[in-house]
Amino acid sequence: MKRKGLLLLLLILTVTATSALVSAQKTQTFTVFLSEPLPDYPGSTIVGDIIEKETGVKLQREYLVGDLETKVGLMIASGELPDMLTAAHFTSLFKDAGMLIPLNDLVEKHAPNIKRLYAKHWEQLKQEDGNVYWLPIQAIPYGTDNSRYPELGFFINKKVLKEAGWPVIKSLDQYFELIENYVKKHPRINGERTIGYVTLFDSWRSFATTNVPQHLLGYPNEGEFVPVLEKGKFVVRQYHTSNAAKVYYQKLNEMYNKGIVDKETFVLNYDQYIEKLSSGRVLGTFNQYWQVQEAQQILLRDDPENIFIPFPVVLDESIEEYQRDVPYIQATQGLSITTACKDPVGAIKFLDYLIREETQHLVQWGVKGQHYEVDNKGHFYRTEAQLKLFRDPDWVRDVFGGPYFYNSFPNLRGIDQNGNSFMPDRQPHLIYADSHESEKEVMDAYGVKAFTEFYNAPRPRKYYPLWTITVPAGSPAHIEQTRMKDILNAYVPRMVMSKTKDFEKVWNNYVKEISGLMQEQIKVYQEQIDWRMENW
Amino acid sequence: MKTTPVTYELLTENITIQKKPFWQTLKKQKVLLFMSVPFVVHVIIFKYIPIWGWVLAFQNYWPQKGIFDQVWVGFDNFKWLFRDPVFYQVLRNTLAMSIIQLVFGMVSSILLALIINEVRLLFFKKTAQTISYLPHFISWVVAANLVRDALSTDGGIVNEVLMRLHIIKEPIMFLGIPQLFWWIIGASHVWKEVGWGAIIYLAAIASVDPNLYEAATIDGAGRLRRIWHVTLPSIQPIIIILLVMNMGYLLSSGFEQQYLLQNGRVIDYARVFTIYELDYGIKMMRYSFATAVGIFRSVVSLVLVFGANYLAKLLGQERLL
Repeated sequence: MKRKGLLLLLLILTVTATSALVSAQKTQTFTVFLSEPLPDYPGSTIVGDIIEKETGVKLQREYLVGDLETKVGLMIASGELPDMLTAAHFTSLFKDAGMLIPLNDLVEKHAPNIKRLYAKHWEQLKQEDGNVYWLPIQAIPYGTDNSRYPELGFFINKKVLKEAGWPVIKSLDQYFELIENYVKKHPRINGERTIGYVTLFDSWRSFATTNVPQHLLGYPNEGEFVPVLEKGKFVVRQYHTSNAAKVYYQKLNEMYNKGIVDKETFVLNYDQYIEKLSSGRVLGTFNQYWQVQEAQQILLRDDPENIFIPFPVVLDESIEEYQRDVPYIQATQGLSITTACKDPVGAIKFLDYLIREETQHLVQWGVKGQHYEVDNKGHFYRTEAQLKLFRDPDWVRDVFGGPYFYNSFPNLRGIDQNGNSFMPDRQPHLIYADSHESEKEVMDAYGVKAFTEFYNAPRPRKYYPLWTITVPAGSPAHIEQTRMKDILNAYVPRMVMSKTKDFEKVWNNYVKEISGLMQEQIKVYQEQIDWRMENW
Repeated sequence: MKTTPVTYELLTENITIQKKPFWQTLKKQKVLLFMSVPFVVHVIIFKYIPIWGWVLAFQNYWPQKGIFDQVWVGFDNFKWLFRDPVFYQVLRNTLAMSIIQLVFGMVSSILLALIINEVRLLFFKKTAQTISYLPHFISWVVAANLVRDALSTDGGIVNEVLMRLHIIKEPIMFLGIPQLFWWIIGASHVWKEVGWGAIIYLAAIASVDPNLYEAATIDGAGRLRRIWHVTLPSIQPIIIILLVMNMGYLLSSGFEQQYLLQNGRVIDYARVFTIYELDYGIKMMRYSFATAVGIFRSVVSLVLVFGANYLAKLLGQERLL
């Protein structure tokens, strides 16, 4: 027994020693924390292997598990940092803690591509000390492009539209009327109860429920507050106690008591929510597209007649909607190199390699001739067989591997110098042509070439968006924000689930509780909006 | 002044009297002592040295700066804590859920141990025991999803069964009723830990002198009487000691379970100290505040343990210290 154990130990030692030697000769490893909940990297993918071969860089990734805010708090407290990290809108906390290195000189000396492609945004990225600490996940170096799906909307199941004769949905009442009628006619789908409406309320994702009043008033996604143009100046206003909020929650309350809103909608976690949406039993939900995309992709693959179609729903028809995003980059967050990184030059060189056009085409489009073709005008396109491959989200992620290099890593958006979109499903000439048959049917019925055509073009807002502003950690505004979210968390379910006759009472309590919890935040946001209007 | 030399003499006398047996016992038990050294070192390193970090509670700690360059704020963090209305809610929830778990957890474990002990068929006994403690090894992340699914209004087993039995007409959204949350936590705790908790009592029961049972049988005691007069009194010391030990965990118990089962609707009843420290401390980078809450918990826990221990002493029961 003893001898065997010793032998085994020796064997393990030799193996690790040799593998360490081999990797030291051939590749360089960087550790990186990515604030996105992706499954672990499969180890080898088509895109990943090419990148590894060309750069000699191996990434040791840690993806987010659980709650980002907690993770960030613990990382800063412990001081245990990876070489590089992204932390969404908590990135600046690492800067405040002195844990990020300035990138200005590194980019100047070692990263010509980053310098060139971020040139347009560079001034926005400078912090008070004049340094740049992170590269935003997206850069728009040339022109902007369009997409098939809008950023957000009231989504409705295709079969509801089809049965109602393809109505254009404009108001909240109309939206719920359609759903209600359908539920009455078809109380069961495939033997299971039809679910009229689901709203997502899982921890930090609950904005999918609480953000809605601003959109009903026609605003794009600003976050918790909305800068309203008053006499030529953007003034930060709250909408949580607005009339729109009351109408919205009252409507949900009415629908809840009628059994249209799913009974357990407020206790669902995100996985359960996606599972419900992709079951084909759900008729409607409000959300930002990226939060329902997973379900939509599953439906497109397995159950294309039950896909969700977005509409820009507003309170009533007197309101003009500008719900789409003004193209922007998230200037207050991005990928950073930490003080723990032993080879910042190597790291920035790797990022420089990642961001250049050739690599971007590789991670988004794939290998020429294999994953996409080029026509005689220089435009990229995919054949039917290639398209079919890319419609399978599992294949794209686990075999192709592109998402592991553009999710949470700096990437390019918009169109390149040859008129190709960096993202295949935004390729200008192909948005309609590459759509699924089921999507085409809807587009044809409405006479549009993309679902974004249901929406108005956004109006310019130079500061856009408000939500990328972070309130200082631990400040009164920050405490107020947490308290406000507590109130929202406690009261929104109460308002929706109370008996109809009690709604008024619960609403009044809610207004009383939340009204005192917004002033400090408004002050901080107003200051930052003013600053952006002046300096951007 | 005149009395001083006398006391001095008395003291030295005392010491010399005590010294001999002490060194003798030390020599006698040197192997035992040697064996305990690693544990003492472990406790010092991981339990005593970190107490040094308590100074954070009196500062406005910011990670960038060294521990001596921080701004000292005195008792500000504690003042903030005691003025926060959420704090009292949290205190209530923590105590309520801990006590529910403690009481029902112990009672059910003891009952299960007694029942399993009375089973004659060895195969059945072993199987029942294994099945009952299996849930202990599932992490709460998985277990919480099981509980969620079981309590779902959309085909969850609990609602289905109740409806089939015509006890309720409409499915009940158990996880959405604030007043029920404590009991769901209690019940799921019992489900997960009952078998595991029973092991220690079973061990205690196994060490009961069989002669006692024989004597009781001869005296005409039935099964229940034997349990009541022999088994229970024999494991009473273990019960008391476990109770005293668990008192120390009253304020620190619960995190994953509440964190994973909570939702906005029940937050007022679900937030316990650990979650409070996270939400209002670590997540906001208010490390000092989180430390202050931690100190409060430690001090109260200490009082509770000593209180329970003292009570046990008063009642003439087995004690921990």
